[in-house]
This record gives sequence, C-alpha cells and structure tokens, in this order.
Amino acid sequence: MSAQPSPAITPASDPTLKKPLLRVEKLVKHFPAGGGLFARNVVHAVDGVDLAIAPGETLGLVGESGCGKSTLGRVIVRLQPATSGQIFFKDTDLTRVRGEKLRRLRQQIQMIFQDPYASLNPRMTVGDIVAEPLRNFGVARGRKAEQRVQEVMRVVGLNPNFVNRYPHEFSGGQRQRIGIARALVLNPTFIVADEPVSALDVSIQAQIVNLMEDLQAKFNLTFLFIAHDLSVVRHISDRIAVMYLGKIVEIGPSGSIRDKPLHPYTKVLQSSVPVPDPDLEAVRKPILLKGEIPSPVNPPSACRFHTRCPIAQPICSEVEPPLEMKENGRFAACHFAGQL
Amino acid sequence: MAQAAPVAQPDVELTYEIPEQVTLLSDAWRRIRRNRLALVGGGVIIVLLIVALISMVWTPYPTWLQAVGPTYQPPSPAHPLGLDNAGRDILSRIMGGALITVQVGIGSAIIVSLIGIPLGLLAGFYRGKVDTAISFVINIWYGIPDLLVALILVFVLSDALHLIPRGVLVIVIAFSLTRWMDVARLVRGQALALREREFVEAARMAGARDYALLVRHIFPNALGPIIVQATFAIPAAVLFEAFLSFLGLGLPPPTPSWGAMASDGYHGMDFAPHIVLAPTIALSITLMAFNWLGDGLRDAFDPRMRR
Amino acid sequence: MTAVDGISFEIDRGEIVGIVGESGSGKTMTALSLLRLIPEPGRITGGRILYGEKDIAQMTDEEIREFRGNEVAMIFQDPMTSLNPVLRVGFQVEEAMAAHARFTRQQSRDRVLPMLQRVRIPAAKERVRDYPHQFSGGMRQRAMIAMGVSNEPSLLIADEPTTALDVTVQASIIELLRDLSRELRASVILITHNMALVASLCNRVIVMYAGRIVEEGPTRAIFKNPQHPYTWSLLRSMPRVDEVEKERLISIKGLPPDLGRMPPGCKFHPRCKFKVDRCLTEEPPLGEVDPGQLARCWVLMKNIQNPEAEAQR
Repeated sequence: MSAQPSPAITPASDPTLKKPLLRVEKLVKHFPAGGGLFARNVVHAVDGVDLAIAPGETLGLVGESGCGKSTLGRVIVRLQPATSGQIFFKDTDLTRVRGEKLRRLRQQIQMIFQDPYASLNPRMTVGDIVAEPLRNFGVARGRKAEQRVQEVMRVVGLNPNFVNRYPHEFSGGQRQRIGIARALVLNPTFIVADEPVSALDVSIQAQIVNLMEDLQAKFNLTFLFIAHDLSVVRHISDRIAVMYLGKIVEIGPSGSIRDKPLHPYTKVLQSSVPVPDPDLEAVRKPILLKGEIPSPVNPPSACRFHTRCPIAQPICSEVEPPLEMKENGRFAACHFAGQL
Repeated sequence: MAQAAPVAQPDVELTYEIPEQVTLLSDAWRRIRRNRLALVGGGVIIVLLIVALISMVWTPYPTWLQAVGPTYQPPSPAHPLGLDNAGRDILSRIMGGALITVQVGIGSAIIVSLIGIPLGLLAGFYRGKVDTAISFVINIWYGIPDLLVALILVFVLSDALHLIPRGVLVIVIAFSLTRWMDVARLVRGQALALREREFVEAARMAGARDYALLVRHIFPNALGPIIVQATFAIPAAVLFEAFLSFLGLGLPPPTPSWGAMASDGYHGMDFAPHIVLAPTIALSITLMAFNWLGDGLRDAFDPRMRR
Repeated sequence: MTAVDGISFEIDRGEIVGIVGESGSGKTMTALSLLRLIPEPGRITGGRILYGEKDIAQMTDEEIREFRGNEVAMIFQDPMTSLNPVLRVGFQVEEAMAAHARFTRQQSRDRVLPMLQRVRIPAAKERVRDYPHQFSGGMRQRAMIAMGVSNEPSLLIADEPTTALDVTVQASIIELLRDLSRELRASVILITHNMALVASLCNRVIVMYAGRIVEEGPTRAIFKNPQHPYTWSLLRSMPRVDEVEKERLISIKGLPPDLGRMPPGCKFHPRCKFKVDRCLTEEPPLGEVDPGQLARCWVLMKNIQNPEAEAQR
C-alpha cells in the first residue's frame, strides 16, 4: 500500500487488459424527458460509465429493459452524441470527432441491429444493401464491389444468387445475416451488436450466435455484445458488464462472474434465469426483488440498487459505492460485494 | 480487400428456397386490383388519357370551328353531344377539354411535388431551425385565401406583367404556388418518422452522407404516401381550372376548357341543357375517378398493412 | 392450409403442461382451439375437445361463453392489448367477475381487493384506482391474471405470459402461476418457446413442430432423454446460464416449413441431421418410446451413437 494517493483503478484502466481497443471514461448520456413545455426533467440513461474492451475479445453488456445498455451502445458508435465523458477508439476520442472524420471512422466501427425487419431498407435489394458501405466509402465499384458482396454473402451463409431479392423475401434469421454481411463488408475491427438474436426463434438464435463466433475467430473482430438474456451473453462473451439504471454495477470475466457474482444485482439476475434441466430447476430458488425498477428520471440516491437490494444497509442510501476492483480484473460497485 | 478466401461455414444455409419474388409495388398492385372502385377510377383515367392523346391529332371537327350546324342543336347522329351556342361540335370540344384537363392535372401534381418534396424532406430530416422556418412558412401559407391569391397570380403574371401567356402553364403555376403545402407537410411527417427508423441509422453507420440518406433511404420509403397525395392534388387542380374558366378568368376562348364550356351554355340552360351537361358530367366523372384512385392507392400503400 | 394437424392430448386436473415450439409451430392455435377462439377465417375441421364429459367442439355459442367464463382463464403475452386503457384496473377486475354471473355486483366489488392482493400487486389498496398505463408490464400481467382467476377456473391457459417481461419479473410471475395452480387446484397450459421455463414449471411437455406434436412426455424424460431429433437439438441450441465449458451450440439449419408448402414424409426431415431414407417419404406416427413418452420419429435419438459429433458435422 503506497501512501501516495494514486488515481483510482477503474474498468477503463483495468490492469488485466493490455492495450484496449476501446476505452470509455465517465460517459454520460442524458435525454430531456418528454412532457410539458416547462419540463426540466432529464432521463439519466447512461450515468458515468467506465469500461474498456481488449482487441479480439467479446464484452457482453447485460441488463434489463430501460437500464441504458442500448443507449450506451449507440453513444459508443456515435449514433447519438454523448452528454459528457470520453470514448477512446485506439487513440481517437470519438466524442470529439464530427462530420467527415466521423464518417471515415465508421469504416472501422460497425453495428448489428436488433430488429432484422426494421434495419434493412425495404426498397433496396440485398445486393445494394450489402454494397452500400463500399459505395459510400468509395472502396470498390462495379465488378469489384459485386465480387466483394458475393464473397461476404457466402461468408455469412447467404446464397449469393439472391443479390437482387428484397429484404421482405427473407426470413428473420436470413435478414440478420444480411445485416451482419453489411457490417462486415468493410472489414471493420470493432462491432457493436445490439440484441442481435433476441428477435429470432430459438433454433435460429444458435445459427447466428455460432456465425458470430466463427466470424470473430476468422477476422479477429472485437465485439460489444448487448443483450438482456444472460444465457446468451454468458455463452458468447469473454467478459461481462452488468448494467442497472444507467450504471455498470459489475464487470469481470464471464466464468468468475458465473461462479461468484460480486454484486447483489448480478446474483439476482443469475438466479432468475431458468435452466433447461428439471432437476436443477427443482432446487433453483430465484431471489425475488421487491418493488419495481425506479424511474431513470429520478434515480435513487447513492447506490441505485438500494431500494430493491436484499442486503441493503443504511450506508447504501448515503454513500455511493464506486465501481472498484475487488479482485484481479473484477469490478463491482457495492459496499457489501460478494455478501449475498 | 486483402482477405482469405472464405472457408466453408458449419452454419451455411446456401441451399434454402425463397418464396416467389414480390416487390413492394407489385404488392400494392395486388391490393389495388381487389379494390373495384379504384379500378374503375383507373379505367376512367386511362380513357381520359387516350381521348386526350387522340385529340392532339384528331377530333371530329376542329374544336374552334363555329357554325358546323345550327346553334344550340341538341344531340343528333352527326353530332352525338350536340352543338353549342356558337354552333361548335361539343364532342370535339369535350375531347379537346380532356387534353387541357390532363395537362392541368398532371402539371400541377408535378410542380406541387417539386416544391413540396424538397421542403418537406429538409424540414423533417434536419428538424431544429430548418424545420421551424419551413413549418412557419407552411402555416402562414395555409392562412392565405388560396383561391383569391391564385386568381390574382394569374392576373398579375399574365395580364399585368405579361410574364407567362394566359394558358395552362399560368394556371398550373398559380395553383401550385398556393397549394404545395399539403405535399410538404406530408413529406415532412414521413421524413420525421423515417429518420428514426433503424435502417436509416444503419445507413448512417454504413457511411451514408446526408444526401444519400435523403435520396436513397428516406425518399423512396415515403414514395407511396407522396403518390397518394399527388393523386389528390390532380382533381383539385382540375376543379380550380374549370372554376376559373367558368368565371371567364381562366383559359381564353376558344380554348375548349370544360369550365368555359359550361359557362357558354349557362344562359341557354332552360332550352339547351346539353351544352352545360356534357362538360359538367365529364368533369364530375374525372374528379370522381381521381378520388377513387387516390383512395385505392392510399389503402394499397397503407403502411399499417405493409410489413 | 392446415395450421394444426391431428393433435391429441389430455390434461389431468392440477397438472401443468407445457406446449413448446417456435413461431408457426401451431402451439397458439392449439390453445385457442381449446376455447374455440380461432381467428377468422380459421375453423376446426375435425376432432373433439372433451372437457370432462362435454365436447367443446359441439357446444352452442351460449354454452361456450359460459364455459370460457367459468371454467377457463386465458393469459396473453401482451397484457396492454387486453386491458382497456380508459378504465381503472380495479373496475376491470370487477367487470370480469360480474360478467359471468357467478357473483353479484356487490360480491364482485368486495372481491376486487383480495384478488389484487392474491396476485401480489404491491400496495393493492392504493392501486385499485390506477389506470393500466400507470402499471408496469409485470403488474399489468398480474392484473390480467387476477381477472383470469377471479372466477376460480379449473383450467388456466397462459400463452407466452412472460415473453414481454424482464427476467427478474418473469421469475415472480412464474412463481405466482405455480402457487395459484396449487391453491385453485387448477390445471395450467403454458405455451412458450422457452424450454427452460417449461423445465421450471411443468409436469409434462408437448413439443410441437409444423403443426404436429413431435414429442410428448413427462418433463424429466423429455429433458434428460429426448427421443425426437428436434427436441434433442432444441435443447442443445440454447445457451445455458450455468454453462461451464464453452461448447459450440448445436444449430438447426434452415427454417421451419411454410404451412402452405409442407415437405413430404417427416416434416422435420429437411432440417434433421439424423434422417434416414424412410423419413423423406413416410410420415412417422406418434409412437410410444417409453411409458408415457411419445415421439414422432423413425430413428429416435437412443439409436444414435455419439449424436453430438454427428450433429456438429
């Protein structure tokens, strides 16, 4: 223990990650809350998030509806501007980039969207959709673009003969492949996948999850995988970040979180997910939370989980626990980490 | 593009079938085919177009030729719709009027769209100050008594300033300048809604510039409602022309405008009603046809039924 | 088109049965036909639905209305569409009870609060006068359940009751369904795409594919020893939250068939990794493979050596 006050270790400066590809520091995103002319309320969608992603890894971001996980993803890819904070991609601060420079950066940062129906322009053919990034960045034209499109379609398991078909002629899983092909065509390094399988049937989900794993291995992709389903996130992620009401409450390697969740909310989440095994189900006791998720317009003071936490103490409503390193590479924001 | 050739994927599903090709337009066509009134409307409009085309090269008599027989002559085998107060063949003039009607209608629909679509797209896409400014203009324009202003415009443009000769063009321009707001407001609403859709965001991620977003992604998806709105502008323009010409403020004689023809027969209505009836019926059928077709198109393009 | 073809099953009093399948498998149609609620222009073209001694398929409209109100309750995925947005929640629960004349107005009114408390709506006393939009998704689903069970039905049909809800809320709704079925001694049909949910709640499972039952049996048998390749693959296609060793998911290639273009033979054969020649031409019957366990397959998983390796090929 050194006496010198050193800057606190945050997930953004996680010493277990060597050279992060993406680093998010104190990121905040507030929206004006809809309502009357004089409403001064803000939605605290993302409220001070620190995280880092190493090249080639998949970071899973999990949380329930309204926790801000999708907003976080969209701010990271700059579909929405940040309110404050910084996002370093390699050495560029994405929050300061705008206009043409931002557009250029999108060659390296791509996104896979949740709804395979809504994310494809119904008036464009599949070939045009997949070719669009090539065209916008002037990477390839004509014959060369066509070849590249067919190659990518084959890589994602789509029949290249269907380039002239329209999106509505395909099933949900095939459309999601089209969206993946579009994200892949420029050879990006980093992909944010926002609930990429939650709109799909179970048997199709596995196809897409496997495809994403194969692609990652083959092209050395880095994923931020956002989902509400802890089972899928656990399967695909190297590390997991758990979000509650605009803040990350726990972050760490997937396996050690499974074995020993540090934050009570992680524990609750984990205990709530059923397992396809009747013997285990017979003994599983979900920890039921009291009350409802509070409004992000008026989040609870100090620890945001204290209103529902099974082990809350008076201090939890007075002092906000920082998201600090509890073990090597494991961060949790709780005064009583690991005690539930 | 340096990339290894793709190896076989375990999850490849290259050998699936997909259903027959249905484009969105053919889908709309399928739906409109089931709408009997819209089909009738479309049929009438096709007849109107054919008659207008024929009238460019042939009419039974020249539309301006007076005294081809006795004035006020009722319908007869030689003149199926009779003769008017100047002894002109009404059938010929109805055919000529069809051409005027088509020119006025389609011309207005085009100009209204040319003004309304860009303004609406800009307002809806950029929101903020651009939208405030354009919406302000739209709302001001709605407050203007359009008929009166259009009348004044026709007078100023052709009679006072002699900028445009009194004819179809000036009527189309006067109409469009006072009635572009419906299209603009509709397109604005469409653009506002579409810019939030995931595929527009996806295009932004794909590096599309604003121009590409507007032209490639937003406009094509607003096309259905725009076509509907433009279809409804046609009967309004046709009626406007007929009304002006009826008052004697529209197309100069002897142009065979249906409105002017009705006005010609006005004073002989008690003993030669056919002179008024013929253009009035032609006008009514045309207006109804466009409204039916417009309704049919609106149902066919209804976004709630589209997936 | 035939959405559901030749479905036969029984449900005992107090039993909780899960019907699992993907979208388009006919699981919802099956449940709706139990109540004769099939949307137009669909209809039941054959078969019987016996409730006790009564054949639901033969009932008059009046009888079926009675039956729906007094014996059965249905809970849907999206409670918002089933609740009237301009009426107070308490009033709607009261209406549900009064509609079927089992209780008088006054009795209905008095029972509203206990019902809401029974489905564990917090601070029920204050919330009786709330409108549906003031309720969260989970509370709306509780209110729907309150309306459903207020007449003490003997059969509860829950169609994807938790699909729209968060997992922590799902857990509490499942607990509630389990407790209610015990208290009311009611049978429950849980319709879902989520195998894990079935494992946690149901005694018996019916697996549907392409409008048919492909496998049926006691929950434990189906999960521990699935015999139909579809059931087997489905169980291995879902990632598990307790997964220790990361294993590649087993995916089922292709898509479920179109109702209008059913393949000949076994309806699953185009996607099946274990098919034999016979599967292409002849549809297998739903045969007993173990006491109480039925499967519609010519091959059966117990006859396959090392199925994992086979499936990953």
